[in-house]
Amino acid sequence: MTDFPITLAFPPQGHFTQPHLAIPCLVAYLRQQGFEDVEQRDLSIEAYDHFLSKDYLSYAREKATARLPLDQSAGELSYKEARAFRAAAETAVSADVLIERIEDAKATLRGEACFDTDAYVPAVRALYHGLRLVSAAHFPSELTPHNFTMAYSNDRSADVQAAIRDGSQNPFLRYFRQEVLPGLVARKPRVLGLSIVYGSQLVPALTLARLVKEALPDCHITAGGGFLAYIGKKLMAAPGTADCLDSIIFHEGEGPLNALCTALRDGTDLGLIGSLTWFDRGGDVPLVVEPRPIENMAMHPLKLDDAPAPDFEGLPFDKYLSPELVLPYDINRGCYYGECTFCTLPTVIGPGYRTRQADTIAGDVVALKARYGAKHFNFITDCMPPGMIQDLPEALIAREAGVTWWSDARVEPRAYTKAGAQRLFESGCRKLLFGYETATPRLLKLMKKGQSLKGISEVSKNCADAGISVTWYAMVGFPSETVEEARASLEFLAQHEGIVREVSLQTFHIDEVSQVYKEPETFGVEMIEVEGADLALYHDYRSSVGMTQEEAAEMFGEMMAGFRRHLPIFAGDTIFYFMQKSHYFLHLASGTTPDEFAERCRVRADERRARGAQADLRLRSGFTVQELPFSYKDAVELLGHPLARAARPDFLTGRFVANAEEEAAARLAPLPRAERVLAYDAENHDFVELRPGGLEVVRALDRAGDFGSLLEQFDAKLPGGPERRARLTHFAAELHRAGLLAGATTQEPVPAGSAH
Amino acid sequence: MQDDEKNIQEDAKAQAGAQATGAAAKLDLDNLDLTVETVEERISPSETNVFDK
Ligand code: SF4
Repeated sequence: MTDFPITLAFPPQGHFTQPHLAIPCLVAYLRQQGFEDVEQRDLSIEAYDHFLSKDYLSYAREKATARLPLDQSAGELSYKEARAFRAAAETAVSADVLIERIEDAKATLRGEACFDTDAYVPAVRALYHGLRLVSAAHFPSELTPHNFTMAYSNDRSADVQAAIRDGSQNPFLRYFRQEVLPGLVARKPRVLGLSIVYGSQLVPALTLARLVKEALPDCHITAGGGFLAYIGKKLMAAPGTADCLDSIIFHEGEGPLNALCTALRDGTDLGLIGSLTWFDRGGDVPLVVEPRPIENMAMHPLKLDDAPAPDFEGLPFDKYLSPELVLPYDINRGCYYGECTFCTLPTVIGPGYRTRQADTIAGDVVALKARYGAKHFNFITDCMPPGMIQDLPEALIAREAGVTWWSDARVEPRAYTKAGAQRLFESGCRKLLFGYETATPRLLKLMKKGQSLKGISEVSKNCADAGISVTWYAMVGFPSETVEEARASLEFLAQHEGIVREVSLQTFHIDEVSQVYKEPETFGVEMIEVEGADLALYHDYRSSVGMTQEEAAEMFGEMMAGFRRHLPIFAGDTIFYFMQKSHYFLHLASGTTPDEFAERCRVRADERRARGAQADLRLRSGFTVQELPFSYKDAVELLGHPLARAARPDFLTGRFVANAEEEAAARLAPLPRAERVLAYDAENHDFVELRPGGLEVVRALDRAGDFGSLLEQFDAKLPGGPERRARLTHFAAELHRAGLLAGATTQEPVPAGSAH
Repeated sequence: MQDDEKNIQEDAKAQAGAQATGAAAKLDLDNLDLTVETVEERISPSETNVFDK
């Protein structure tokens, strides 16, 4: 069936470290069903790679500088101006350096150097800052490694429709037009399938869909994925959607997509395809009014054990920003437990719980390893049932799979025993993520977690003893939770220092599929309905007891600060390993134990704290400065305030909380004028704020060559006594700690108070 | 003459020394604000989709 070209694409924005599973599963199934010409595109990684390039950043620098002039004349900086100021300041000081070094940074993450923290951290920073430059060019949009948001809200179709047409704020419009559309037009796919798993993909996906619809009116454009399982019905009913899409597939995609492609190829009725909602465009007589969506009956999910292993052929493996390939693989779908009152994962993935047999999984893993040379796997599962926890390691060991893997897990004390955890480790398991949520039994009960604190403690300890790194999912702000209860969660974590290595903390959100939304009285909450939000999925609420949403946001900050004290990975800049999917895991996979890694993080943080002012300290290469009319640091802190954060859509909800922007503007005091200097360099890639006086000393140091020479001159000319010398030495040590100065070799610090 | 020569040479030497020490000499350390500030890498709820599927 080569005459029926199909293209399936994963639109931006997803993780840039590894491929997503959705499209490879669909590709495998379609190919198995006889569709030979199925192309898959990871447009998320392609876009990241394109944006984070010398050419694109040069373009972004011009655009950002024109859009955001660094105004030196304003009297004060209001909260509303702070974001633009920050972007302008960063662009001014870092753009040239980033353009010069961005390719090196990508190479670092893709190579062996990724395992060297001294190379890794600056490279990741360069990528983050590269994306800030891309964002500045499309201000106020923000593209990060974890999210894409605009000034438009995801929960209003009018906003979404405006966003997909806004070339000045939507970076993907130009990108798709220039880099993606020409190839698609040449290929002329009969079906374009878009996977919309995250809210951050909605606008980019519809941006592309509209362009393709215009260019290739005969191409059927369908979309599916987790995010659409929530809002797909509303999206199909919303104005403008018919200009972008022809249909949406709900829940599991394999069966419906195969049926859709078959029907389109054979010209049969779309009304018979299960789990499809589609626009009837009136056949040969096109409709003059906007077509109405037709919702078909649901289709039964697949027998997962019969589904083929995901097919990654055609993905640009060399573009992912990881030194080694980590392949996702679905061992089951749905949750066998499925009771937790806050959780909607079982709803998203479709009805029921389906699993592959342990032996099938092990066979697939061995085959994928042989086919792609991948030694590392991210098993995608809501959680493994106890039987599988026992069978899977045995099957992997029996097949001598020789892989490492990580996955989510539910607290199952019967399965994660000492012996069980040991077998898991032997089968290659290096990291497990457990839903801990809270240390308050009352809340665990309200959440229907079906687990005890003793249980979480026990399974975590057993896994840690076996050498498996343990991550906890935690939640703050569940309805009725008090400040004290949130602090108890932190306290319980502190008691597990050395056992738990990472915590993924979420603030609680109410979505429309959750039990909390359906039975608000049970949880003591009252929903706040927002008018005009026709794509709304998440809802604000008032709670009659416990923390308010604002208090929960503040508590989030307090808890993160607590994690920094108790978790070595979180303590310093090594937190980047936590933030880039699979990067910490790859260290574990390469043989580093969780203890060794934690120690490495500790040593790094201590080394940085202990940095002094040795004689050979010199300015790092590519040092640049920009004078500023306000404090950059204060602006960043202002924007980090819980009120300011609440005013930006987060990755989960993609929406603007009603009145949050006004509230933040009214309550956050403007910044006074201040003479400041922002510094950046091409080696450490960090923003450091100085005062004009500090810059004078830095310039003097630069002219002198190194700190020792500066001191010599200083002692010769101005034997101003130990106090002045101590000030100078203290300053150099601080610059060293901040990363602006580096020594050629490791030397003894210069004594602060005495001439040498 | 020879003395003059010597003087000139010494002057030149002194001038070179002054230039070399100029960087430090101009620093009025008592009145310079030497604050250094960094911005810590923060994680906010909008940046924590690390483990979503
Ligand atoms: S939180 Fe985990 S265990 Fe609970 S229903 Fe969701 S997926 Fe299942």
